Amino acid sequence: MKMKRHINKIVILAAIIVIPAVSFSQYCNHFHSSYCMPSENEMFKLNGQSKSALFSKGQTSELNIIVYKGQDYRVSLCMDENLGSQVKFKIYETKKVKVEKVIETKEMEEVMGPCGECNGEGTVDGEMCYECEGEGQISTGEEKEVISKETKIVVERQKSLLYDNSQDGFSNEIEFSVESTRRLTLEISIPGGGSGGASSKGMKKSKMMRSSDMGCIGVLVEHMTTPKSGFYGTGF
Amino acid sequence: MKKQMKIIASILMVLPLTFLISCGGDDQIEEAIEVEVEVVEEGNEVYYQIPSPDEMFGFIKESGLEFNGELLNPIQNVDNYTDPKMQALNFGIYSADLAYTAAFEEFNETTKYFGTIQKLAEPIGIDAAFDKSLIERVQGNLDNADSLVAITNTAYFAVVDYLDQNDQGDKLGIIAAAGWLETVYVVANTTNYAKDKAAVDRLADQKLTLDNLLDYLNKYKSNKDVSEVLGWFNELEAVFATLTENEGSESGISFKKKDNGKMVLGGGSSITISEEQFNAIRDKVNEIRNNIVKTEV
Repeated sequence: MKMKRHINKIVILAAIIVIPAVSFSQYCNHFHSSYCMPSENEMFKLNGQSKSALFSKGQTSELNIIVYKGQDYRVSLCMDENLGSQVKFKIYETKKVKVEKVIETKEMEEVMGPCGECNGEGTVDGEMCYECEGEGQISTGEEKEVISKETKIVVERQKSLLYDNSQDGFSNEIEFSVESTRRLTLEISIPGGGSGGASSKGMKKSKMMRSSDMGCIGVLVEHMTTPKSGFYGTGF
Repeated sequence: MKKQMKIIASILMVLPLTFLISCGGDDQIEEAIEVEVEVVEEGNEVYYQIPSPDEMFGFIKESGLEFNGELLNPIQNVDNYTDPKMQALNFGIYSADLAYTAAFEEFNETTKYFGTIQKLAEPIGIDAAFDKSLIERVQGNLDNADSLVAITNTAYFAVVDYLDQNDQGDKLGIIAAAGWLETVYVVANTTNYAKDKAAVDRLADQKLTLDNLLDYLNKYKSNKDVSEVLGWFNELEAVFATLTENEGSESGISFKKKDNGKMVLGGGSSITISEEQFNAIRDKVNEIRNNIVKTEV
């Protein structure tokens, strides 16, 4: 009996040490291709921009994809049950735009006085005060804040909201045709996550999470060439 | 994926098993245990995806462009790539060539290029992504165009998943960058600016894909090899930056529902490209691509 307990302990220890290495790479891997329902339309093909990831409640993540003109896309989400059914899903257009910006820089500058105030200490134009013979200026030993403004062209990222599934009954899928190529940001937020004492450690936040507050999310992207409708050709 | 999150995933996987094993009696009861673990959050995770080569090649085939085997990187070159960075870059190049041959049903070439990427996968350390069943499926579907395209895609996605899940985003970035470059190289060198408007437009649209690629590479720029590759692609971005975006006459971009109930993403600006800009992009792409595939004689 004792022997059996020892063996059990060794097996448990081995499992704890070895299995994580195996399961790391497999837990959410292929979640989108395994659990997201593909379109019934067989013309749709799996798009390489699909992705799966591990999420915790309260977490928001972004997936940036490209959708091309002349193609239809179907984006669908699937998730572990414990993350709930009301996952927030928004689509933004992301654009890089050149913006003219006035950049203010603050510097401390020495306050200068007329050379006549020279008391024999300090310098004027790099020369000792006593050599300036009453011309130029000399540091008073005080400092003042000087604000300089410079106009620069900077590249900024602009996001405009195109779709919010909370306005669409928390739908987990959307199908659309694309008329002009776009860079889209798919933003996925898992509600909740308020429980557990959150604490800050510098820039990073440390939070106690329950295992039941975590799960996989799959984002399945499918595409096909937009079907042409109507009559084509010259006709005979 | 964050490492901390992975640890939790592992715990989730392990705990039911450990509980099962630790039961001393004959009746083994599997019971999930709720654990509380510390998660370090580093802000919202942002992922940048790059369309896989098959999407582009499927498009250019439908656009009527013809296959040009001379554009492929010869498979004989594979043994000359001994530097890890060059191996990863040329893995991306050959992967795109594989997708190109499969899309155009050049089955003999597809088999050869599949063998080449399989060979190159070993020194890069991603041969685990090519299992025996995948190789058998390729060999068993050599005369089935749709299956072959699907299987070569499976191989590409398997590599992407493998690198992603094993925290080798830097290597993935290099492979994806080279794969994307090869697709642009093929399109730029088979497209006639005056005749192939759809392909010319698709090339111009790569400005946006390049933005995604640069953002992805920037995440890993602390890696010396990624930093070097990033430098090349920043030079290419400077050429793409000359393309202008024309605001359409309609209001901004939006989803609109058409009469048939179909959602359409339309409106907003579109990118235009002149012949001079087209040639400048092609020249820069050729320069970078030829720098990658060149072999020391």
